[in-house]
Parts: sequence; C-alpha cells; structure tokens
Amino acid sequence: MIWWVMIFCGVVTFLTRFVMFSDMAPKKLPDWSEDVLSFVPVAVLTAIIVPSVLVGADNAIQVIDNARLPAAILAVLVAWLTRSVLATIGSGLAALWCLNWLIF
Amino acid sequence: MSPTPSHPSRQQEFWSGVRQELPLQLGVAPFGLVFGVLGLAAGLTPLQTILMSSIVFGGASQVVLVQLWGSVPGPVVGASVSMINLRHALYSASVAPYLRALPLRWRIPLAYLLTDEAYAVTINRFRSDAPGPFQHYHLLGTGMLLWVCWQITTITGVVFGATIPAEWSLEFAIPLTFIAVVVPILRRRADFIACGTAAVISVIGQPLPWNSWIILAGIGGILAGWLTLHTAAGRSNA
Repeated sequence: MIWWVMIFCGVVTFLTRFVMFSDMAPKKLPDWSEDVLSFVPVAVLTAIIVPSVLVGADNAIQVIDNARLPAAILAVLVAWLTRSVLATIGSGLAALWCLNWLIF
Repeated sequence: MSPTPSHPSRQQEFWSGVRQELPLQLGVAPFGLVFGVLGLAAGLTPLQTILMSSIVFGGASQVVLVQLWGSVPGPVVGASVSMINLRHALYSASVAPYLRALPLRWRIPLAYLLTDEAYAVTINRFRSDAPGPFQHYHLLGTGMLLWVCWQITTITGVVFGATIPAEWSLEFAIPLTFIAVVVPILRRRADFIACGTAAVISVIGQPLPWNSWIILAGIGGILAGWLTLHTAAGRSNA
C-alpha cells in the first residue's frame, strides 16, 4: 500500500510541476485561475508553518514556554527585512538554540 | 543595441544556478535529515524512505505523507499531498514561457526538478533583463544541486538519524525554510488575509479527523485571499 501511495504522490507531484510545460497547455492561464493560484503558496505553506511552530509533541497548542514561537517571529522579521534565505534560517535556528540554552 | 550581445555559456548558467542555490541548502540539509528520521519513525523501511526522496522529490509533500501515513486512510493522504502540491502548478505556469520552446527531453527533467527552492532562485534569473539562450541550464543547476543535497541528507538521516541530539531541534528547519519562501511573496493586502486565514484554520482545525486541517486551511486561505482581491478590486474600479 505504501508503495502505491508513494507512486501516486510522485506522479501527482511531477504532473503539477509539468502541467504548464506540456504542449497541450494553454499559452496563458485564464485570469481567474491565475488569481486563485497566486494564493496557493501563501495559504498552503502557512498551513504547514503555523502548526509546526505552535503544536508541541503532545499535539496540544503551545504558546507559553514555547521557544519556537519567538524564534519563528524573529525569523519572519528577518525574512521581511533582509529577504535573505540564509539570514532567515540562520537567525531562526540560532534564536531557538539560544532560547533553549538560556531559558527553557 | 549590439547585434550579437554576448551571453553566458551553458557552463556559466549552470554554475551560477548552483552557486545561487547553495545558501538555501542551509534549510534543505536539515530538512532532508529530519525527513529521513520521520520516515523511519512513521514505520517506513529505510529503502522506502530513501526512495521516496527521488520518487516524490518534494519536501513538504514527503513530510505530510509520512506524518499522515498510518493514521489516515490512503486516499486522504493522496488528497492532502495533492493540496500541498497545488502550488507547483503556479511555479509551472510562471516558468513555462521561458521553457516552452525546449524539447520534451529538457522539459520533463526540468519539471521534475522544479521545487520551491529551485523556483525561488531561478525565476529571478529568468526575469532578469539579460535573457540568454542557455538560461534553462540555470534551472538545471539549481535543481540538480538541490536534488543531490536532498538525496545525500535523506540517506544521512536514515543512517545516522538516531544519533542526532534532540537539542539541535533540526525539525525547526522545516518551518524556517517555508518562512523564507512565504514572507518575501507577501505583497498584496489579500496575501496577508490569505496567510492569516490559513494560519487560524490550521490551528483551530487541529482536532479534526484525518489531519484534514491541511486541506481546509489551504482552501480557506485561497478563498479568503481571492475574495479580498475581488471585493477590493470591485471597490477601487467602481
């Protein structure tokens, strides 16, 4: 079963990346679908980011005593100001390590 | 305008792709390690975990797949991963104009290599004011570096995962990588609304069965953004 799910997911992943490269694809997407698609990365990635920051190992939402939260907020600020991937990931990880070491 | 402007060679395009992609490996490498660990923890064999990194080759999709595997029916796993994947259609549409003239033997591998991180780097090259006949080698460079790094770190995670100290909190590299992708693309007011809506649904939806908050937060965020865009446009155009 896992192989089938894996192959299905592999095919879906490839096809969504290939869809507009195909000879059958329209030269340009209709405006409404471009509008809809333009929100997909923000909506989907936010839905992955937020629970992985807020939800702890016991599946409960954790706001207090959660070093990931201030570290993630710092990373968002750094990303906003620098637009640098390196600075964002570096500052986020460094902040988490410092907070864990100092306080938690 | 000179009639024959000099343009970067194949090698120059390829290696500039590799060089520009290199900093992102700071996020990709721990992400790959964590995936290796998560795969085994979800009950997959080492072989299944390692092969998933080349069969699926999508960090977010793979993490969601292994997190849901075992606790959620197969079709729901497939639907959730498809939702996560939808964003690739946008990347595909965005780079297609630069690649459409290429033969299939180029378009197929380049589509396979079109990840968040490769797209984020290469689209800047494609949109620069100096197009070149070999600019697809840039995507080949970013994609291949990422692919090699992903495979090596997955295997490392599978083999050495148990020895990585928990205090390193490497799993935190996953949200950080996506923060680095999402924050720079927040431009319109509607983007912020989409982001906020998805965030709220993903948190309050936690108790829902089958981890269906993934699908609901995605759809809710898209809908909220789209509605904001259209009501705002309706007002300003009136």
